[in-house]
Amino acid sequence: MRDEDTYADLTALFTAEDREQEAKPFVDQVMGRIRAQARMRKLLLAVTGLGGALLAASQLPKLLADSVGLDSSLTTSILQAQEDVSALASANPLWLGIGAVVMLSLMAVAAMERA
Amino acid sequence: MLTDPDLAADAARGNDSAFAELVRRHQARVRGMSRRLTASSGDADDIAQATFLTAWQKIGTYAGGTFAAWICTICYREFLQVRRRQRPEIEFDETAEIIPFDRTMADTGDKMDLSRALARLPEAQRICVTLCVAASLSHREAAEATGWPLGTIKSHVTRGVAALRKHLAADQVA
Repeated sequence: MRDEDTYADLTALFTAEDREQEAKPFVDQVMGRIRAQARMRKLLLAVTGLGGALLAASQLPKLLADSVGLDSSLTTSILQAQEDVSALASANPLWLGIGAVVMLSLMAVAAMERA
Repeated sequence: MLTDPDLAADAARGNDSAFAELVRRHQARVRGMSRRLTASSGDADDIAQATFLTAWQKIGTYAGGTFAAWICTICYREFLQVRRRQRPEIEFDETAEIIPFDRTMADTGDKMDLSRALARLPEAQRICVTLCVAASLSHREAAEATGWPLGTIKSHVTRGVAALRKHLAADQVA
């Protein structure tokens, strides 16, 4: 006789007790949390992707001006706008702080979300 | 009907509906197990939820075998984490005697008898009975989940079952 056979009656009692619990609210709760995490992950990916794309785009005018000779007035105005934004950010360190907090938050979410 | 390993493989590919089906199939076992391992129903629900969230994150590491054993192992580890956070000063003691459960008076009848009888067991026996008898893990699976030697598991289960029967019989007489 297997060990398990000696307590099959007790196992049946425990199983009957477990079956009394309603499954749906629990499953919904767990899946709700999982889907919320997935949404957060997608948002994070989108924000990071957008940040990367903006960073790449910011380098594009200079690259195009150097390599294919894009109209210099256009590239100059874009570069001027970039410089204005940098000057604004460095003039008020609060923006740099906000940016750093946002980046740290995103990194923390990324690290926590899928360890 | 898809088997647990099939569903787990689908879930590992990001199919959350497949994982929802796994949660539905195993929730009773995991919730029952966490309720029996812990002292409070609040902790039990938290542990059960944390178990499935961890399982979702680690579903890619499930390498076949009994899904019930895999999920119960995660549940046991979540229980240990909660236990360490709550009572960091108390070392686990396999020979410890009764650690009473905080049961409400709303529990009645067979359920109360079973819970009360289980609560009277020493902690190591209660863990082994919960894993092997209530959650239907084999002795070997319980040994892998807890990290205890197979002989220790067998011994705790045998003694625990005997004590459980004794307590249940005493409750019925009383």
